[in-house]
Amino acid sequence: MALTLAIPSKGRLKEACDAWFSAAGLKLELTAGARGYRGAFAGLPGVDVMLLSAGEIASSLAAGDIHMGVSGEDLLREAAPELEGRMHLVCPMGFGFADVVVAVSEYWIDVSTMADLDDVCAAYARTHHKRLRVATKYAQLTRGFFAHNGIADYRIVPSAGATEAAPAAGLAEVIVDITTTGSTLKANGLKVLDDGVILKSQAQLAASLSADWDAQTRATVEALLGKLSAAAGSALYPALASRLK
Amino acid sequence: MAALPFYDTADISALNDQAVILLKLFGARGYTRQEPSILQPAEIFLDRSGEEIRRRTFTLTDPSGDELALRPDLTIPICKHAVDSGASLPARLSYNGLAFRYQPNRPERPTQFFQAGLELLGLADAAAGEGEILGLAFESLRAVGIQDFELRFGDLALFGALVDALELPTSWRERLKRNFWRAGYVETFLRRLGDGAEKAPSRAEVEAALDAQTLGAPAGRTREDVIARAMERGAEAAALRLDPAIAGVITKLFGISGPVEEAMRETRALLAAANIKLDGPLTAMDARLKAIAALGLDLSKVRFTAHFGRNMEYYTGFVFELWAKDAEGPVQVAGGGRYDTLMQSLGAAKPVSAIGCALRTERLLAARKFTGVA
Repeated sequence: MALTLAIPSKGRLKEACDAWFSAAGLKLELTAGARGYRGAFAGLPGVDVMLLSAGEIASSLAAGDIHMGVSGEDLLREAAPELEGRMHLVCPMGFGFADVVVAVSEYWIDVSTMADLDDVCAAYARTHHKRLRVATKYAQLTRGFFAHNGIADYRIVPSAGATEAAPAAGLAEVIVDITTTGSTLKANGLKVLDDGVILKSQAQLAASLSADWDAQTRATVEALLGKLSAAAGSALYPALASRLK
Repeated sequence: MAALPFYDTADISALNDQAVILLKLFGARGYTRQEPSILQPAEIFLDRSGEEIRRRTFTLTDPSGDELALRPDLTIPICKHAVDSGASLPARLSYNGLAFRYQPNRPERPTQFFQAGLELLGLADAAAGEGEILGLAFESLRAVGIQDFELRFGDLALFGALVDALELPTSWRERLKRNFWRAGYVETFLRRLGDGAEKAPSRAEVEAALDAQTLGAPAGRTREDVIARAMERGAEAAALRLDPAIAGVITKLFGISGPVEEAMRETRALLAAANIKLDGPLTAMDARLKAIAALGLDLSKVRFTAHFGRNMEYYTGFVFELWAKDAEGPVQVAGGGRYDTLMQSLGAAKPVSAIGCALRTERLLAARKFTGVA
């Protein structure tokens, strides 16, 4: 069986990903023409490279549909909240940096920490008899982080896009979103809480622990990680091997 | 994949027979049986129970786009109906039916289970209500053949009274009450307190700071709300530190857990050493223990845990669990407590005292089977 490896299909993430594998001597060759979505590495047989969206890669890894994939750590952790038993982060790739943060309206001059937000959530529940709404596409990460900060009086409203507009549109009071420079948040009158960084994310090479790992795919991944280990500066295969049943 | 139970003839007959016994007992004590719909409007749970219950609630959208939920408990629908129908109080209501909960990270636990339960709404005498519900919970276990069980309880009101007895700004008290059950919270909290060096801002300063924010939306809050809290926060930062001795007492008290008589001795000693008087709550606790003993439960079978918190967030005071044993060890077969704010949050015009309890009937059967074996 071939080892399936999914990489982002477009944008800066794809370019950075191509460059990262090339630096380790793995040149990606598309098999179905330049506009195709399948490929292979020159000089490393047995790897079936697929080009997918970063979100699909995360959910496919969580479901065990592919062996390996490159995606943002934010999406990986959202797809498999505990990671334990479902995914192994093989190696951070040094690009695609972004933070998942809790942001509130700048109008809330009395709120700068999660503890302040806890107070406001509790007061809101008391006066309105309903929960303050948090708009996000990161429901799992939000739940974990809010629980860690002891905040119970809120509810998550799913947001598919333009999350930063939710407070002004009256769809939510608070947001959890991903940001690189914070300028989009600022332009929308939002500020990040001082202790509101949920995750400092970057692109990760990840392996699915629930995928079908036979002897051949194990041998292939050992060869693949052998090439990448030199570039990463440490042996990558032993840690993965110890996680595979 | 979630555990989806299948009941064969023997299982369902045993459950039905047991339900008949329980419902007959509830009826004889004046509790009227009700059966809310299994499908409920989602928001009645999601708005009240917080995210912890939301993540365990099965929701679905009907073809017209309305959001529905499989009831994660029967208490909320029954209380909602009591509010909407203007039920005369006090009301004594009972139920027996399925509840549904997604079990994150616990795939071996069933996602649907039977609950039989009681709600006592609007009885002004809190101690009497507590005695009645506890008494009926004990009787229920005995009626289905479980004589040996343990009571574990906590009382949010006791710690509310303790926190109120401390010289602290109101908002600090509220925070402690909300978070007292969290390990390490008090220590973290103490580190956050001001050192008294800062100056509290004036209203004019706060208003000027708010007016400088031209881009941000009010996001559900009024100008007055933001100003009031900003001033309060400023005043807190300028307030004095909490006496470390008092802080130590809080930490120790929150850690108390054990057989109830020992736990209460420990509590009294700690309070006396810190010179904190809590006569009201302590007298109430003595009366409660007498009542429990009078209900035929030996106090050696009663455990008190200060940080006892149930994850259903509508509980407001006394909370309890009954534990029996099945083939795999101790098992929680019943749980309940006081939820004095729920009725108002469901639309009641004024606060309604409320206490209730739910029995996990499948676990009762397993525990009953085990007593037969042991």
